[in-house]
Amino acid sequence: MKDGFRQSMAWLHTWSGLLVGWVLFAVFLTGTAAYLRPEISHWMRPEIAAATPGPRDAEVAVAAMQALAPNSPSWFISLPEPRDTSIRVFWRDPTAEGRGFRSAVLDAATGQPVAARDTLGGEFFYRFHFQLHYMSAFWGRWIVSICTMFMLVAIVSGIITHRRIFADFFTFRPAKGQRSWLDGHNLCAVLALPYHLMITYTGLVIFMLMTMPWGIERAYPNQRGAFNAEVFGNAPPRRPLGQPAPLVPIAPLVEQARQQWQGGALGRLQVSNPNDASATIQLIRDDAERLSYNPQSMTFSGATGALLSTRGEGGPAAETRGVMYGLHIGRFAGPLLRGLFVLAGLAGTVMVATGCVLWAVKQRQQAAKKGQPGFGTRLAEHLNVATIAGLPFAMAAFFWANRLLPQDMAQRGAWEVHVFFLAWGFCALHPLLRPRRQAWVEQFALGAAAFALLPVLNLLLTQRHLGASLVAGDWVRFWFDLGLLGCAAVLGFLAWKVARHPATASRTRVAAVPRPARATS
Amino acid sequence: MIVLSFALACAGFAGLCLGMERHYEQVFRTRRIPPARRRLGVSAGWLLLALSLLPAVLQHGWGFGLVWWAGVLHAAALLLALTLTYAPRLVLAWAAAPVPALLLAALLPSL
Repeated sequence: MKDGFRQSMAWLHTWSGLLVGWVLFAVFLTGTAAYLRPEISHWMRPEIAAATPGPRDAEVAVAAMQALAPNSPSWFISLPEPRDTSIRVFWRDPTAEGRGFRSAVLDAATGQPVAARDTLGGEFFYRFHFQLHYMSAFWGRWIVSICTMFMLVAIVSGIITHRRIFADFFTFRPAKGQRSWLDGHNLCAVLALPYHLMITYTGLVIFMLMTMPWGIERAYPNQRGAFNAEVFGNAPPRRPLGQPAPLVPIAPLVEQARQQWQGGALGRLQVSNPNDASATIQLIRDDAERLSYNPQSMTFSGATGALLSTRGEGGPAAETRGVMYGLHIGRFAGPLLRGLFVLAGLAGTVMVATGCVLWAVKQRQQAAKKGQPGFGTRLAEHLNVATIAGLPFAMAAFFWANRLLPQDMAQRGAWEVHVFFLAWGFCALHPLLRPRRQAWVEQFALGAAAFALLPVLNLLLTQRHLGASLVAGDWVRFWFDLGLLGCAAVLGFLAWKVARHPATASRTRVAAVPRPARATS
Repeated sequence: MIVLSFALACAGFAGLCLGMERHYEQVFRTRRIPPARRRLGVSAGWLLLALSLLPAVLQHGWGFGLVWWAGVLHAAALLLALTLTYAPRLVLAWAAAPVPALLLAALLPSL
């Protein structure tokens, strides 16, 4: 340990950040993409036309489920919203393989199932950012939770280390080597500090029941169900009675819920034991309308239409957690506020990336005095390229796979993910074969080209290209295509920046000489 | 109203950085800030930053308003930092941003 409080904090900041930096970069970048989960899913299913949510959606969905799965013990229905305008249904089917569920995407106008390609859509980035992939959700969540804990340590020790936090508040000095990396790192960290603290802390809170279960274990020994019922108001399931009884019409129930929520919109429906005397219909409010993620819901008897229970806001503790959960996932945010969230998420991504690069730059400068850089430095540099430049390319490859894999391929959705990891694996090996700077330039350029060609691929392979989206007023797809071009521009800019960066120390010194105009003023 | 909040935040940050020697030099090419100007910059800066909360809360209520405010402050600070680096004279324009924003808010309160 070094002497002095600030030095020991600097040590802690460096190592807590570096150790998990590459995981954090991936979590931040895919998490930022997860703010656009419905948009990504919409774009990745070009078969589905954009529609506008209407007042009869619930009726259409229930009628469709009566035709699709009248004997299923439970239906889960997600109604259309402006960001994702199709009806999504899941239902339990004891004859189905795996976990015993079937799913379908329904056309909101007719209720007919749509033959959309098999894809995970935005769901993949969302799941990856908190439980990784190719491992059980349990281990993935633990790994991400531990990395998040390191992140919190790195943020707090970073604030203490960065003593000129206010004096340097607006300072960015480009083209000054290590100085610029430090400025960039500080700028991204300090300007969005409330966001970074919020997102890290709330991320820990979301999994607190998994990482810190001891208090609940003590108060509710072996009774997690009782705890959930008390805190979150999850009603115990009702057993089917075996007496057939038709479901009551859904429209009056929806109207009753709308009045209860003072005009709030219905988001999801959950029907248990349909067409049985014990049937229940739970109406769940659209979670885009409240800060808290504890959903409000009303449960009715499916046979009589009588109101059985109402779930409003939880107790203070549950509501605190709900607000933190809601802040983390930001589902309440409209387009502009979501844009601000994405901007802050990107600032976090850049903060992690510049931190990792800064460490490597510093090590190399110290090594330049002593001789060869050590194995650790070279390993960090390798991982920097593979993560920072490789991951965006892998994300582009995921979108390419979505457009190019054959429609009727078995396990198509899983193969899109395999392509993502194959592309990333390529980026992890590529720096072994190329000089360091070339590796950066080539991977950024490859990513830029992959993103730039996606709208072109869209034009060639689907009916939903940029022009068609504009004419149809399909703004999600329109802006998504433009966003892909934006990603290409950013990556292209980075490739160009690295390519013309002075390579040797002597050239850096020349560039650092102040220009005459500055010197005389 | 969010545009007004954003403009007030920009002007507030502009005031704060014009009260700092390093950034004053970037804009006016001299490090010597007259003491009265420094006081004006810093006090007006903090006042405008505090004021920028008001439109956000008026339009969105306390819960959503505070979230909006945090996002607006972050975006405004980022804009100021980039402006200082690449087009420092433009900072003066940000300092005046609340005037047109106020007119806009009067005409179209929903923005």
